[in-house]
Amino acid sequence: MEYFTYTDCPYPIREDIKREHRQFWHRLANPGSWWTGAERVAIAQEVRNATRCNYCAERKTALSPFTFEGQHRHAGELSDVIVDAVHRIITDQTRITQSYVNKNAENGLSNEAYVELAGVATAVFSIDEFHHALGLEVEILPEPKLGQPSHYRPSQAVSGTGFIPMLPRDGATRLESDLWQSDRTANVLRAFSLVPDALRDWKQLSSAQYLSMEGMTNMVKQEDRAINRLQMELIAGRVSAINECFY
Amino acid sequence: MLRASSLTTNTDIDIRGINGDESAAGVGVTFGAELMRFAEGLATGVEADLVAARKQLIEAAGTAVLVDAAGVAANFQRMVRIADSMGIPVDDMGGEFGKQIREELDLERFTSAQNSIN
Repeated sequence: MEYFTYTDCPYPIREDIKREHRQFWHRLANPGSWWTGAERVAIAQEVRNATRCNYCAERKTALSPFTFEGQHRHAGELSDVIVDAVHRIITDQTRITQSYVNKNAENGLSNEAYVELAGVATAVFSIDEFHHALGLEVEILPEPKLGQPSHYRPSQAVSGTGFIPMLPRDGATRLESDLWQSDRTANVLRAFSLVPDALRDWKQLSSAQYLSMEGMTNMVKQEDRAINRLQMELIAGRVSAINECFY
Repeated sequence: MLRASSLTTNTDIDIRGINGDESAAGVGVTFGAELMRFAEGLATGVEADLVAARKQLIEAAGTAVLVDAAGVAANFQRMVRIADSMGIPVDDMGGEFGKQIREELDLERFTSAQNSIN
């Protein structure tokens, strides 16, 4: 089956957007570093459940998200800890804390698995939101492929920035030398670096929906875009402000 | 980055558009008010507002602008969740440029500011 044909879309979609959406769907279906293909697709399904979850909606209005009891709307394929992590990242991300991430690790959701989960969840959510923005139905989730996760963890990851270990600024070396140039990185780029393939997915999708790493240095206008950088950053800033993102 | 782009292009802007001031959004940014409303419609999740904003943006700027705006808005729906789920702090809290913008927009009111301030 070919995904993201956009044949039902009344607006012309750029070819690079179609390509990156298709390529992410292919990677989504395959085993990752810490999850099987079936688990990754199940995480994707939980992203969609989260957006219609009454418990998430009620918890978001509670003074503390950690004392509000209830049951998520879920597909039943993942543990409660995993379901809650996906739903929280999608619906109440500003109140995620270090202690929540630590407690998840004690309950079997390792830092590495949490990073990959967040990578899958945020990428699927972003692609779904692109469809939502254009008034389109979301794409059918892919059929999972067989195989086992690689359990690859870069040895140079260190704690000290954010909730989970990351590569240090000068840590894009050896197998990770493609992640960033040694003199050009930021914490948002380092955020997923404990699972390098999650960061690679991040960069690929961003290159089509927003800008590539190289494109980000152009503060005026990229030739193949219909909007200039001022317009892009107004949109980015407004979305970030509504989401109460300090970063 | 809005301020950085305005400095590069020598364009006068009003950064309060980021906080939802419609008249400010149009200062120096072509279709600024329509783009701001479209971003709001998506990020707030109010379907009627999104539908209206999409229509207004198409009428004002055309479908190519709509599609690229949808890409950027969708991308930042993701970026904010990456930043907060990983708890990353702002890279340069001490810099004057960033400090001025955080003050202008009163960003320290956000819960996630604690990842950078504490």
